[in-house]
Amino acid sequence: MRAWRGMALSLLAMCLIVDARAQGTISNLPRKETLIVENPEGTIKNAGWFNIWAINAGGQSTGLHQLGMDTFWYIDPQKGIDGVWDNSLASDKPIYNADFTEMTVKLRKGIFWSDGVEFTADDVVYTIQTHMKTNGLRWSAPVQINVAEVTAPDANTVVFKLKKPNSRFHALFTVRWNAMWMMPKHIFEKAGDPLKFAFDPPVTLGAYTLNAYDPNGKWFIWQKRPDWQRTSVARFGEPGPKYVAYIDPGPPDKRVIAQLNHELDVIHDISPEGMFTIAKQAKSSHGWFKGFPYAHPDPTLPAVVFNHQLELFKNRDVRWALALLIDIKAVSMASYRGAATISAIGVPPTGSAPEVYHAPLEGWLAAFTIDTGKQKIKPYDPTIGSQIADMLRPSMKDQIPSAADEIAKSFGRGWWKPNPQAAAELLERAGFSKRGDKWFAPDGKPFAIKLMVEGEGRPVMTRAGSMIAQQWRQFGIDAATVVAQGNMVDRRQAGDYEAMITWSVETWGGHPDLSFFLDSWHSQFVAAPGKPQPPRNWQRWSSAELDKIIEQIRQTAFDDPKGLELGRDYVKLAVREMPTIPLMSYNVFTVMDDTYWTGYPNADGAPYTDPVPNWANTKYMMVKLKPRQ
Amino acid sequence: MSGYPAYLLTRLGQFALVVFIGINIAFIVTHATPIDPVEQSIAAATQFGSTSPEAIGLMRQSLKELYGLEGGLGDQYLAFWRRIAVGDFGPSLSAFPTPVATLIGRALPWTAGLLVVSTVLTWLLGNLLGGLAGYYRRNRALRFAGVLAMAFHPIPYYVVAFVLLIVFGYLWPVLPLGGGYQMNMPRTLSWAFIGSVLLHSILPVLSLALVGLGGWFMGMRSLVSNIVTEDYVVYAELAGVRRRRILGSYVMRNALVPQVTGLAMSLGAIFNGAIITEQVFGYPGIGTLLVSAVYAGDYSLVLGITTVSIVAVSLAVLVIDLAYPLLDARVRVH
Amino acid sequence: MGRTLIDLLRFNRQFATGLALLVVVTAFASLSFFSPYAPNDSYVVPPDLPPDWSYPMGTTSRGQDLLWLLSFAIRNTLLFGIAVATLSRLLALLIGLVAGYCGGLIDRALMSLNDSFIVIPLFPILVLFYFVMRDRMSWGLLALMMACLGWAYDARLIRSVAMSLRTREFTETGIFSGMSMRQILVEEHLPYVLPIVFSTTMNNINWSIGLEVTLSVLGFTDINTPTIGVLIYWANQHTALVSGIWWWIFFPVLLVVMTFIGLFLLAVSMNEYIDPRSRLGRTGP
Repeated sequence: MRAWRGMALSLLAMCLIVDARAQGTISNLPRKETLIVENPEGTIKNAGWFNIWAINAGGQSTGLHQLGMDTFWYIDPQKGIDGVWDNSLASDKPIYNADFTEMTVKLRKGIFWSDGVEFTADDVVYTIQTHMKTNGLRWSAPVQINVAEVTAPDANTVVFKLKKPNSRFHALFTVRWNAMWMMPKHIFEKAGDPLKFAFDPPVTLGAYTLNAYDPNGKWFIWQKRPDWQRTSVARFGEPGPKYVAYIDPGPPDKRVIAQLNHELDVIHDISPEGMFTIAKQAKSSHGWFKGFPYAHPDPTLPAVVFNHQLELFKNRDVRWALALLIDIKAVSMASYRGAATISAIGVPPTGSAPEVYHAPLEGWLAAFTIDTGKQKIKPYDPTIGSQIADMLRPSMKDQIPSAADEIAKSFGRGWWKPNPQAAAELLERAGFSKRGDKWFAPDGKPFAIKLMVEGEGRPVMTRAGSMIAQQWRQFGIDAATVVAQGNMVDRRQAGDYEAMITWSVETWGGHPDLSFFLDSWHSQFVAAPGKPQPPRNWQRWSSAELDKIIEQIRQTAFDDPKGLELGRDYVKLAVREMPTIPLMSYNVFTVMDDTYWTGYPNADGAPYTDPVPNWANTKYMMVKLKPRQ
Repeated sequence: MSGYPAYLLTRLGQFALVVFIGINIAFIVTHATPIDPVEQSIAAATQFGSTSPEAIGLMRQSLKELYGLEGGLGDQYLAFWRRIAVGDFGPSLSAFPTPVATLIGRALPWTAGLLVVSTVLTWLLGNLLGGLAGYYRRNRALRFAGVLAMAFHPIPYYVVAFVLLIVFGYLWPVLPLGGGYQMNMPRTLSWAFIGSVLLHSILPVLSLALVGLGGWFMGMRSLVSNIVTEDYVVYAELAGVRRRRILGSYVMRNALVPQVTGLAMSLGAIFNGAIITEQVFGYPGIGTLLVSAVYAGDYSLVLGITTVSIVAVSLAVLVIDLAYPLLDARVRVH
Repeated sequence: MGRTLIDLLRFNRQFATGLALLVVVTAFASLSFFSPYAPNDSYVVPPDLPPDWSYPMGTTSRGQDLLWLLSFAIRNTLLFGIAVATLSRLLALLIGLVAGYCGGLIDRALMSLNDSFIVIPLFPILVLFYFVMRDRMSWGLLALMMACLGWAYDARLIRSVAMSLRTREFTETGIFSGMSMRQILVEEHLPYVLPIVFSTTMNNINWSIGLEVTLSVLGFTDINTPTIGVLIYWANQHTALVSGIWWWIFFPVLLVVMTFIGLFLLAVSMNEYIDPRSRLGRTGP
């Protein structure tokens, strides 16, 4: 008995001691000067590797490309601090010759590496020539395919001579999440084989250097350079945080707890339910939108992607029928609990796209007609966005906006009205038949679809897929979801799927040019069945009409307004052919805690960049953050 | 104990055979995975940025050459065994060219430390509780403790871990939410560092112990209740030997023998890592390494980890088998 | 047989409690046959409602009535666990008893086989199996795989008991009386081994459920069939614990614990019953 009492007393004593010491001890850095950010890469397998040019399991978004790297230009997914386009290492936009076979870049003066050496055109030439000589680097292939020769007429000018005309060669150096970064010549020329050099500690061009890192890959801490004025981001001011820590915060539940404890300032992504919990419990936590739907719409478009090399999906009527069976309101509720920004067209409803594509095409969409063979219907319902808002208003009350343009921004505009009757007619015209309450394909076999979803890594899309499969099932199609846990990438690339929930459309965001994804949809790149398909035409769709549009875009300059017209032609073609069924933008629940820092970007007053922390564009956030305490 | 040296030799032969078979199975299994490390690397590299389709083909070729995946399966098999003979697992394919041994070496001490401590602790507590409960049948406190241990045992570990995290990390925030030690603390052998490591290991060890206790408890209890009815125990009780002495010297000693077997095997099995523990508590270790290696189709790393695991478990089993005849006098060596 | 069961029920409180728990769980599992909702459908009822009279166990974030969903889940999990346990017990008994009795070369060979199965790390094999099977994965196949991987440890245990039984007098007596190996194993050794088999069965059921939950939490699962693991998978996807939807985790865990404690009490009381000397010991004052 005495033993029990002794144990109980020592346990109690231990608890008291631990309690006294436990407050606010996440690290020994001064909390008021530290910004703690989530790195969605998780635990970095090879933590001591900072050579971002070699493909290695070292981290990229550990702060390395957000705070340490730099290149010529940045395009902001939102509005940008001073416009969407920023000349970072370059002092001006790219200068092409008349037939796009030569590009000249003028570099900024006064930029220094973190070890005191000045950045010049020699670094650029060295970077490009290294990639030309060495196979297997991250950007070796695009450089070797495009660049015939690179020269530096003076210390601040670089001239690229291209192997063939490429009006968008500058995209290689334009940051949209990342881009080709510049190597320090004075370090790499002494380092031997660039594929084997770890670059630890990294010599940076950005405003921060590496302070410390965890050899087990759980955290990376960056420190503001004392000579931050000699970096490109200094044009906008001094970066606020002295230390920035990128950590692996664990499963989604744990991220919520960490922010509620004020131990995590920026969450990259959590589930909608986690978002609602934080919004309820922590007044200091904010999303991109002040109220519902909170999330930041990434310039990415999740859709139902069909495998066009399967007989089943070659007929447009089948694809349209499946689209008319989807009730997007239910899908939005199932996946995002209503916090989704829907889009009926093949462009994500974010950045500049709503003004350039969604709004101008409303009229055309409302008038768009389908002939099912038995009737003519106008499938577009422009009120679905506001219907979702109305559905949520009773429970969410004044968190739901009421103004029409705000609803359009947060929830999206319209979508296709569910119409099982029209879907049945379209299927019948395609040779399908209904016996009892099950549908059969033209070859007599039951109409079955396996809808592939990514599983644990993308829970919201998994939920959307489950709901869509359920809606198809209720119609009489034998639809089921299959989870491609861990091998989604392989299967998508190999075309080893029937239909899946993923995205094949990604745009710049701030800039309306569509070439970022559209160029790869040309039929010249469609792989034979069984061979791996290069990104991003996962659906393996070939269309002569689309090829014409793409070839015309290739001939127009990046900022030419004619490109927008061509973009709208693509949108109309995609609506008619329905190669994929666009659903909504990829909403990321990035949550920012303003207990220690203010000045985060948000939709209402400060859309100056994308707050999603693994984007290299977030370097612009650092200059706007100011300490709260 | 005649014949023991012969037994020793045959047993060592069996050990070598088992390790050999195990590693071969691991080789076949990892190379049978449909995940291609080259495609995974390409996907990782091209996931976000802009890419041109022509570039992908070029990338694929260069990576294949780089990773040395061009020979057929037979060549890779021979190359693998040649390397293993000198203890070199080769470079990791997803973290090329970092050697697999380096990656494992960074993570293994954490797993070993955590799991050795929690396994031994759980074993001690579980057996103690089980022995007492099996012997003092009528004791209410012991029965209640037993039911408690049994109640925790089947709860899915994930749930126990998370509830503990919520209770001690959020509701009464006295313990850190995750990590192996405090962020940014220098890893020197100082009191501060050791203290931090201990503090961060409390929740993982506690969760593992709560769930694992029931297993040892159950086993010990049934063993003890079997032994209690043996002749020599009854005789000792009738002869008036103190109950505590009987429990300690007669009953537990004999009951512990199979439990020691179990302990050795559990210690061998720690090289599988505790994946959920590492996920929930953000604890460094080889579980996370293994999962990410499997996802990346990184043959070398998966093979490296499984080889370490196979050798460790085989060694544990070997030690048990060699020690068992020495512990239990009734077992004669054939 | 019936009389002994009734006796056990009347006099052994542990047996009665264990049986009662199991009956409750089985009855709950059989409720699944009367469910008004298909197990895979979502958003059939308002989501996130706490337990009250109309929804005794509350509703999930996917708009499913937890009571009916759980009845399916526990039924599937129990069937899965029993299948794995039965198959692996058969394997373990066969190999363990034969190895322990025969000794010599047969013992060596069987133990080499056994050890090879012990040393192979489970996780990569199961994940690989999942990748290879992909869309053709089914619970039956997974049960078969897990049974093939889960017999080795217990076979060793049974073998060590068999080894010590081999040297006992009654075994020698049996051999001298001319009993065949099969007769000795089944009639003499099996009753001693059965108590261990019962407790290892429970362990095995626990292990298979635990492994199934682990795989589900990591995402390697067929999400179209509800089991306890799939239930926890969905709860995890919706961050139920942090969102305050505690009932989604609580009730499945409660049922699993009830099942396990029921089996445990049953095993313990039957253990005492089967071992003749402890039964005599209990009928005393």
